[in-house]
Amino acid sequence: MDRKMSVMIVDDEAIVRESLFHWFKKYGHIVETATSGFEALEKLETYPFQLLFVDIKMPGMDGIELLEKVKTDYPDTLVIIITAYGSIESAVKAMRIGATDYLLKPFKPDQLSLVMERISFQKRLVSQYHYLKGHLEKITRFDNIIGQSPEMEKVFSLIPEVAQSDASILLSGETGTGKELVAKAIHAESLRSHLPFIAINCGAMPESLLESELFGHQKGVFTGATRARKGFLEVVSGGTLFLDEIGEISPKMQINLLRVLEEKKVTSIGSREPVEVDFRLISATRRNLNKEVAEGTFREDFFYRINVIMIEIPPLRKRKEDIPLLVEHFLKKYCQETTKYVDHVTRDAMELLKRYDWPGNVRELENAIERAVVLSKSRTLNVEDLSFIRPPDKPFSKTLSLREMEKSYIQKVLEENNWNVTQSAKILEINRVTLHKMMKRYRLERP
Amino acid sequence: MISKKKSIGVVPLGNIPEIDLQVIADHITVCFKLATQILPPFETPGHAFDEKRLQYNAAIIIETMESMQFGNHDKVIGVLNKDLFIPIFTHVFGEARQGGACGLVSLFRLTKNPDGSIPNRSVIQERAAKVALHELGHLLDLLHCEHKHCLMHFSGGIDEVDDMSLELCEYCSIYLQDKLR
Repeated sequence: MDRKMSVMIVDDEAIVRESLFHWFKKYGHIVETATSGFEALEKLETYPFQLLFVDIKMPGMDGIELLEKVKTDYPDTLVIIITAYGSIESAVKAMRIGATDYLLKPFKPDQLSLVMERISFQKRLVSQYHYLKGHLEKITRFDNIIGQSPEMEKVFSLIPEVAQSDASILLSGETGTGKELVAKAIHAESLRSHLPFIAINCGAMPESLLESELFGHQKGVFTGATRARKGFLEVVSGGTLFLDEIGEISPKMQINLLRVLEEKKVTSIGSREPVEVDFRLISATRRNLNKEVAEGTFREDFFYRINVIMIEIPPLRKRKEDIPLLVEHFLKKYCQETTKYVDHVTRDAMELLKRYDWPGNVRELENAIERAVVLSKSRTLNVEDLSFIRPPDKPFSKTLSLREMEKSYIQKVLEENNWNVTQSAKILEINRVTLHKMMKRYRLERP
Repeated sequence: MISKKKSIGVVPLGNIPEIDLQVIADHITVCFKLATQILPPFETPGHAFDEKRLQYNAAIIIETMESMQFGNHDKVIGVLNKDLFIPIFTHVFGEARQGGACGLVSLFRLTKNPDGSIPNRSVIQERAAKVALHELGHLLDLLHCEHKHCLMHFSGGIDEVDDMSLELCEYCSIYLQDKLR
């Protein structure tokens, strides 16, 4: 096991920094020094130091203040306080705030060695905990579906319930909301979980290809059919078939699938011999099929057959309280994939993420975080890292009054300037007091 | 076979018995297979004495040694009979920086057992040889080792020095051979 650590020594005395620096180098640790609390915080922004040795008495920001900031912003970072005999009370206070240990200067060589052994042991326990936690998360049923909003709680409670039956399920939700993940979770919870889960995007292929993929074909029935091939309806045998974008299939395909669902038999293209099939169907759509049935553009009998149970997956804009949780999840995911270390998002950046409506839903948020992690130069994502997220301008309605137009324009300028009144007033060419009055009149407040 | 790629100097800082120096030099030759020579003595640097602590600052002595010429020796181990410290620690038995040119061994604290009794001379000499080899290991870029009986295991007290072996563990051995290649 790798016991090397990244250590930063924070002390205003050069001789202390130097002594500890050389001592840690003898263990092969990554060692950095900082002459003040401010410098330490700057360095922490760019590198995830695991362990800090902090002197209590420092000019500017003392060790206690630094410890408080570190424990707030980087709770996983361990802090050892080093102090002189006169400041034991401060050391006790530091322990209460969250310091891992403290050492009285000068200390015996084996005292430091003992502290490092304890930390190494603690680090091993934490790493084992994370490994087991990750392992447990992987085998839990709702892996990757993240959310704690009431809307998602409702979905989570439905999954185990519906998984136990064989009834067809229709998942309804906008693109990128995670319909396939929910389908996988239902499959994983069901008695069919040890059998195949096959997902087909009906909107991604022409009808003839989709028919061949689903039903299979005999040798020579069309050009290129050089050999017989079983369709997914047969291959899925006993498992779960997930048909995404079911609203895109033609009325003819709807009839063919309806027959399969009713008779539990499939006849491949070019064959006259039906084969018995057994699968659970989960469909998904981003369209309003109820409306399409009412308009006569989607078959009613097929709709009721695939829609025994409907689960609505809410769009991200309706569960914005889940955004911080999702961001944390994607940061972890892409830090592992890219080997970059980004574990923080500034408050302003998080506000920007929450303000945006995410028309592409969770998928769009995931892509945004991946892009930001790849391009980020520090361990903290800030507004500049997310500058590519531009809430689309709302088109002006033709029926907008002059008053509404004015309000809308002032709001747009304020939003673009992060609600900085001075800056916005300058652009609007009015003074700050006037802008404040207008904001009050139009009830414009920073969200 | 003795390697000629690196030569080591052992320099007394102050009045150190010839036999103690010879034991250290012989152990370096035998254990690390490096050509070793005992050099003419130097005075203990007086400016390294800390009047508050009544000890000698090892870092200052090493800096002074590194500014001096010791012939063609690649690494030099200074041996003295003064109590050494580095600013964060109460004391050290020896000191060397990773990959540095000069290291130190102090006999001062090696001449007493943990219970306060005086050991015989051979025990003191063996302790001195262990500390010298350990510090030379750092000069040759070896790190502290987790193997409890390895020569490169960190020793905070005299009993740990006694527990330490005169040999490197398998991994440190390979690493040293690599460094000397």
